[in-house]
Order: sequence, then C-alpha cells, then structure tokens
Amino acid sequence: MSFAFLNPWLWLGVAAVAAPIWLHLQRKKERNLVRFAAVQFLDHQPKARGRPLRVRNVLLLLLRALAVFLVVGAFSWPYLRRNDRRFATRNRVYVLDNSLSRQANDGFNRDKQRIVHDLSAAGPDTRIAVLNLAGTPQLVVGFSDDRQVAMEKVRELKASFGRGSYLDGIQQANALLAEVGGGAKQIVFLGDSQANQWQESLTTAPFLRQVQVELPKSPIAQLPNLWLCEPRAQRIFLGETSRVNFTMRLGHLGPARSAKVTLRANGRKVYERNVYLEGQPQTMSLQAQCEADPTAWLLAQAEVDGSPDSLPGDNHLYFAVPPVVEGRVALLARSPYLRLGLAPDVMRGQWRVRLLDPSSLEAELSAEPESDVLCLESAYLQGPEGRSILKRYLEAGRGVLLLVNRLSPVIDVSLRELGFECEGVFEPGTAKPEHFQFVSSNHSIFHPFESPDFGNLMEVTVSRYARLRATAGHPLILSESGSGLFFESTKYPGKLYIMAFGLDREETSWPVHQTFIPFLDLALQAARPQDFTLGAFQPGEMGIIQLGGEPPVGAVVLRDKGVELGRVPVNRARASLPMPDKPGIYGITLDDRGEIYRFISVNPSPRESELVYLQSPRVPAEWSVGERDRTDPSGATEAGRVGFSSILKQHIWWWMVLLGLLALALETTWTLAKENSFE
Amino acid sequence: MISEPLNLLDRFDPKLLAGLEGLSFKARYIMEGYLNGLHGSPFHGFSVEFSDYRPYQAGDDLRRLDWRLFARSDRLCIKRYMQETNLRFYIVCDTSASMGYRGTAAWGSKLDCAKVLGAVLSWFLLKQNDAAGMLSLKGNPGTARFIRPSQKPSQLGLMLRELDALTCGGGACLASLLGQAARLIHRRSLILFLSDLFEPSEEVVQGFKHLKFLGHEVVVFQVLDRDEVEFPFEESAIFEDLETEERRSVSSGNAARSRYLERFNRFMANYEKLFREIEVPHCLVRTDQNPSMAIRMLLAKRRRLL
Repeated sequence: MSFAFLNPWLWLGVAAVAAPIWLHLQRKKERNLVRFAAVQFLDHQPKARGRPLRVRNVLLLLLRALAVFLVVGAFSWPYLRRNDRRFATRNRVYVLDNSLSRQANDGFNRDKQRIVHDLSAAGPDTRIAVLNLAGTPQLVVGFSDDRQVAMEKVRELKASFGRGSYLDGIQQANALLAEVGGGAKQIVFLGDSQANQWQESLTTAPFLRQVQVELPKSPIAQLPNLWLCEPRAQRIFLGETSRVNFTMRLGHLGPARSAKVTLRANGRKVYERNVYLEGQPQTMSLQAQCEADPTAWLLAQAEVDGSPDSLPGDNHLYFAVPPVVEGRVALLARSPYLRLGLAPDVMRGQWRVRLLDPSSLEAELSAEPESDVLCLESAYLQGPEGRSILKRYLEAGRGVLLLVNRLSPVIDVSLRELGFECEGVFEPGTAKPEHFQFVSSNHSIFHPFESPDFGNLMEVTVSRYARLRATAGHPLILSESGSGLFFESTKYPGKLYIMAFGLDREETSWPVHQTFIPFLDLALQAARPQDFTLGAFQPGEMGIIQLGGEPPVGAVVLRDKGVELGRVPVNRARASLPMPDKPGIYGITLDDRGEIYRFISVNPSPRESELVYLQSPRVPAEWSVGERDRTDPSGATEAGRVGFSSILKQHIWWWMVLLGLLALALETTWTLAKENSFE
Repeated sequence: MISEPLNLLDRFDPKLLAGLEGLSFKARYIMEGYLNGLHGSPFHGFSVEFSDYRPYQAGDDLRRLDWRLFARSDRLCIKRYMQETNLRFYIVCDTSASMGYRGTAAWGSKLDCAKVLGAVLSWFLLKQNDAAGMLSLKGNPGTARFIRPSQKPSQLGLMLRELDALTCGGGACLASLLGQAARLIHRRSLILFLSDLFEPSEEVVQGFKHLKFLGHEVVVFQVLDRDEVEFPFEESAIFEDLETEERRSVSSGNAARSRYLERFNRFMANYEKLFREIEVPHCLVRTDQNPSMAIRMLLAKRRRLL
C-alpha cells in the first residue's frame, strides 16, 4: 500500500479526520456570532485573543477526540494490523497440475504428497488453499478448511487425463489471494512445466500484485513418450463394399526405435503394424481400413506399444463411427456421367436421387427444399427458376454442388453473387489438358485419397474449365497452371462446392476415373447439412449434444457400459454434457430408454503427450505489477495489498466505524442541547 | 395638563406586553395605563367653539342667524364659529432588517415596538376624530404600502391589520421611505415617523428637510434597543450586520465598548442637531421601556400645534 498523493485511501482518511475538526470549528465560530443592527459603529479587530486557550468543556472535547480517534483508527486498522506479528499471515495457494502429462514418472502423486506434507507442517499463521488443475481449475481446499479434512481431500484426488491451462490456474489462484487481507501471498505451482503450456495464451497475463510465484524446475528437458492422436474415421463405398477409413497420427519422443500399432474394430483386430521410428518425424500419419456394416455403429480402439514410454495414458485412441444415414440429392443436370454416378444401383443406401424436371421448376420453388443437397449445372442458372432454387437451398442451410459447364453474362452475374469472379475459359485446343496438381489433403473430402485403394487424383485431366477467382471461398483442387478447379464457398449458411468444369468427356477425364464415384460421394457428404454434435471430445470438456427430431426428451444420460455417469436436462433440443475424465467410448441415452442414442469417443489432448519441459520457467515480467520488488515470502515485514472487500469483512473495522459515528452523534446531541439551553 | 404617571404606568411589565396577542390588546394595555394616569379626559379641549358675530347680509344662511340676539337687541347678526381643524396624520414605519433586532432585555424587536406604537397612536388619534393613514415599504426593493387617511371607525381595524402584517427585511430604506412620503402625502399633515434611523446619509437629512419644506409636521420616534444604546457585550464575538451581513470581529474589553458608544453618541447628537434645526420633535423609544412615553410627547406637541 503506497501512501502516494494519488492514493484514494489517503484522501478518504484525510477527509475523515478533517470532517469532525471542521464541524467543531464551525460550531465554535457560529456560537460567538451576534447578529446586530448597529455594526456600523464597531471597529474590525481581527487580532488574536489576548488570553490563552482554556478547555471549557472537557467531556465535549473528549467526545470529539474519541470520534476522531475511532474514525482514523478504523481507516488505519488494516495497515496497523499487518505490522502486528500476531496477525501476520502467509497466504499460499497450491496449484496442483493434474493434467495427463503429470502422470509421467508418477509426478502427480509426488505433488500430492508434497501438499499433504506442507499442510501438516504449516503453522497457524499460514493459510493454505489448493486448486486442482484438471481442465477447469477447481478449488479443492479453501483457506478456512480444517487441516485434517484438507489433507484427506488432497489424498483422495485422482489423476486426470484432461488438460488444464497453467495460466487459468494461476489466474484463479491470484483471484483467491486478492480476496484475503494482509500478509504475504504466494502461489506454489506444482506441475511438470510443459513447454507448450508456457507458449499458450501469453497475452492474457494474470497481473499479480505483490504475489510471489513459485514455479517448478524440471531437471530434464524431455521424457520419452509414444502416443496416438487425431483420430478420424470415414465411411466410404467401393463398389458394393462399405468400408471405414481410419486415420490417426503416431507421435514419438525419445529413443524408441519402433512401436507396434494395433487397431480393433468392434472387438476384432483389423490392423497391426510395426512402425519404425528411427529417422522419422515426431508425428506420422497412419491409415487403416476395414469393412463395416453401414447400418450399425462401429466402435474402434487403437493402441501403441513400445519402449521406452513414460506416459501410458496416451497410448490408446478411440473411434465411434455412426451408421450411414441415406441422403437425398436433387439433381438438375444433363451430364450422363453424373446421372450414372448417382444412379440408385451405384449409390444404394447412401444417396437417393430425385431428378428435377427443368420444365416444372416453378412447382419445386413453391415447396420447401426437401433434399439435403442440390446438384446442378450452371447452364440452368440462365433461367430465373434455376437461380431461385440455388438461392433457396443455400439460404435454407442445405448443400449445393454446382458444376460450371456453361458461361454467359447472366451466369457470370450469378457466380459473382455467389462470390466467384469468372476471368475467362480455358479452351480445349489452346493447350494440352491439365492434370490436378494440388488437392487440399486436410479437407475431409480428400482424406481417403491418401490411401492408394481409392486411386490417384493426380491422374485426372481437365481440358476445358472456367477460370474462376474466389472472393468468398477458397480452392480445394488446383490445376497445373495454378487455376482453381474445385472450390468451397463460405458465403452462405449452406455449404456450396463449385466445380469449374462440367462432367462431360469433352471437359474432363474424371467421370471414367476410379476416383470419381468416391469423390462424388464424399463431396455430397461434405455438402450435406452437418450434425452439430461432435463425435469426439477431450476429457473433462463440456460437450454439446444436439438432438434431432426425436420425441420430447427430458434429459440426456451419459453411460459407460450401462452404468450411468451423468445426466443433464435438455433445453431447446440441446444438452450441455460434461465429458468423463477418462478416455474411452461412452454411450448416450435419452431419458431412461434402453437403446443407445449415439456413441461418443473421448481422447486426450495430443499436446499433453509432448513431454518437453522448460527447465527454469520464470514469471514473465508483465505478470507482476505494482511493487514487486518488495515481495518477501517470509511475510513478517511485507504486507500484501489490502482489498476493500477484505477490509469490509473485518469485524473490528466495523465496530470502530460504528463507535466513531456514535461518538459524533453524541457530540452533536450534546452541542444542540447546550445551544437550546442558551436560548 | 399632564399629571405624573400613576400606578399602572409604574407597573409597566415588558414581559406582559410581549405575551399579549395582537396589536389591539397591546395598544389597549398601553393606552388604558396611560389614561388612568391623567386627571381629566383628553377629549374636552377639542370641540367646536364660538368665535364672534358679524352683521347679517342678504344671502346669508338663516339657520346661522342668532335669533336670541335678535329678540334681545333687534339686530340681525350671524354667529361665527372657529373652523373645525380635523388633523390628518400618517404613521410612517421603517421596515429595514435592522428593525428586526431584539436584545435580551427587550420585550420585542424594534419593529414590534414600532407596531405597538403605531397602533397606540392610531387608536388614540382616531378617537379624537382625526384622519389616520399609513405608509410603509414592503419587499426588497421596497414597494410603497399606502393607506389613505380616514376618520371612519373601520380605519382602526385596517391600520391594525396593516401594522400586523409588517415584516422586516432588506437593506437601508429610510431615504426611499422619506421620498415616498414626500411624493404621496400632498396635504399638510402630521407625519409620525417610526424608525431606528440607522442610515446616516445625506439623502435622509434631505428627506426630512423636504417634508418640512412641504409644510408637514414631522414627529420622529426613534426606536432603539438597550443593546444598541448601552452596548453591554463583554465577550469577544463576531458581529454580523442584519442588513449588509458584514461581519466584524470584536475583542472583549472596554476599549471596543468605549469606541462604540463614542460613535453611537456622535450619531445621536448629529440627528438631534438636525431635528433641532428643522424643528422636528424627536423621541427616543427603547424596546425595554414603556411605549406610552411616546404618547406624552405627541400630546405635548399637539397642544403646541393647536
């Protein structure tokens, strides 16, 4: 607490001291005032009085002195108290890192033991609180908790698989310390000091005021680890077979030379491979496929096994693949290849196609879009009905796959409205056909094409295409000359994919390439309105479950092999469900119905697996504000910041203020009574 | 002839006067105390009186012919009487803020005293069939409140109500009051001036001279408090002027009192000199004394006038 001139407490105290003195002087002055008619005959004599001051009313003087003393005492009490050894306290908050990475080398249990030891050894002048940092920081032990109870609470803590932000923990600890009164303030962070944690959210500094922070010092730079992460699974169809394509990433750190990766789907081993790690990048992509019933959930679990491995908790990966739900496509195109690709015998069980009659588009306009995806050629944008249908689908949140097989001024305008500028046409004959040069492999449409089973997209040629420039979207396929051939628009609520060419033999070789049918299926799936419920979560995070057109549901229940883990109410067809702390596959049921509504997979954060540490982390300079140089952990001489709320909580302070006011009231009554008796 | 005051005057009680409600009661208390102290009625000297005869001339009113003389001496003579001279008088009251002062020994403020005095004089003069009127200032700056003189019996009630409604306030208004009197009072009248005269200025002197020049008879009743006359304050105090709110710090001791009295006496002497010069009777009325002293002076003046 600085007594600078700008300190508001200083001015408040001065005002409190000055007020009774001013009142006293005012009354004294007024009592000797005579309102007189013949002042004109008087001389002004502002001389000091000739005789010494005499105390005429001892009781009144004592009352006034008492009032001043109590008011001043009330304002200075919090600061006097700090210097009193009897009240000197140390306020310490332990932030216990209970993230997955702390399980390495049993670090979490060692931290728990240290807290228990400190709790038993701390004297009565030390107040301790403990925050458990597993996901969101949670207060486990408060300052006022009994020591024995606190130790029990700490012992009962279980290791978590979540990822809690170090900054969040320190911010919460700082907020706790801000509420306490005087005394030294200290945050003891017990964790592994992961390097990637210190690189996160450094812009949101916790602003520590006279708070000392003790950070862990790691004796080693990293620990060996093997882990699996980033699970992705997609259903694909190859001819008559329905398959699931799994992709995941294998990470390795340390001297492990190889690792065995196993994948089990519905309890059946479908993949096993020894991966050699020497000379490989830190993470590598793995892919696996298996046949699967498209009408049933597929639950899969991948596992990595190798040595040395300090953190077994991240060796498993879980997949929950939902069954295929047949989609509906409205087709407004003349391309025979496109009609053939969407024919019922090709897309049976996946897509049901409805052909739109160009001569009766007005009837289509009068009804709500009933298909999930509209697939049309740009030639139909020449007419107003075609343009209206396109807009209706996009504004209704449905998907559109637009093939630009024709250009005209009217179509150019329509494309411009969609966020694409047409800059000409790549004509056949002017140059040789162009191959696909680049595809956006991060996009879900192209994940399966990383496997050679689906063919090579780079073999596809395009001999005539529109040169489009996206103003509200981005290209997913680029030609050899760098022109965009396939685009994703971001302008409308519904998803819009634009192919810069038509699907005729004069324009492309794609319809007869083996990648065509899988691509068409994947593109339609990507354009389809999304199920907003994610299938994959992290431990401890809050998952949003979006319900569809089910009958009214009261609650969503999270189950693990039939055992109820949690139940949350449904509000407006949404439920916020806290995810379990342990990775695995869990079922969700609606109310107490027996059948599983859907499965979800819970996998740990891949960043927890990077066991790379900062050996001597330091509190960044911008965290500490105020007089940090005076920070003294002993707490004997240093006084922490005294917050107004903490002052209000002190009973003695309230008594002092009340007694001061009472003394002032008595003094006023006394003075008034005396004045009345004069009259 | 005025006799020495008798019992009731001696038994004048300022507290009793202060306790009486309404000007009428206070005026009666003063007047009856005063009348009980006289040997005879003051009303006898002012009736219609015979003057002389003159020979009858054609056209004279036959009702004024003295038939008894005609029977005795066979001469036609007309009786001549002394012309009746009903006096017009005005109560002119100063209502400046300084008139609100009331000392610890006073039975009322100076304005209270002036009101009682005005009521007593009105009652007394109206009983003698004189016409009574009134002039005062109201508000700040003061607007003139003027009651035309009248002999009607209801005039006393009107005067008492107007006196009762007077409140003091505002700054110096004496010069303004004198100016209004000169402007509003046209016929030769008796002006009874009630004020503390705490406004020594050339305009005030000129105002009194102007009234005299217009032929009015002016009687000044200077109402003062004992504190103003004797300055009994002993302790140090801050004195605030009632009109200007100017403050003066005064130390205890005789020096301040001496200086005050010296200036006050000089102030009084100046006024007395002025009133002597312009032949204006001046009567000092103190708020801790019996106001009937003023009536004695008025009667003495009245006799001199008649």
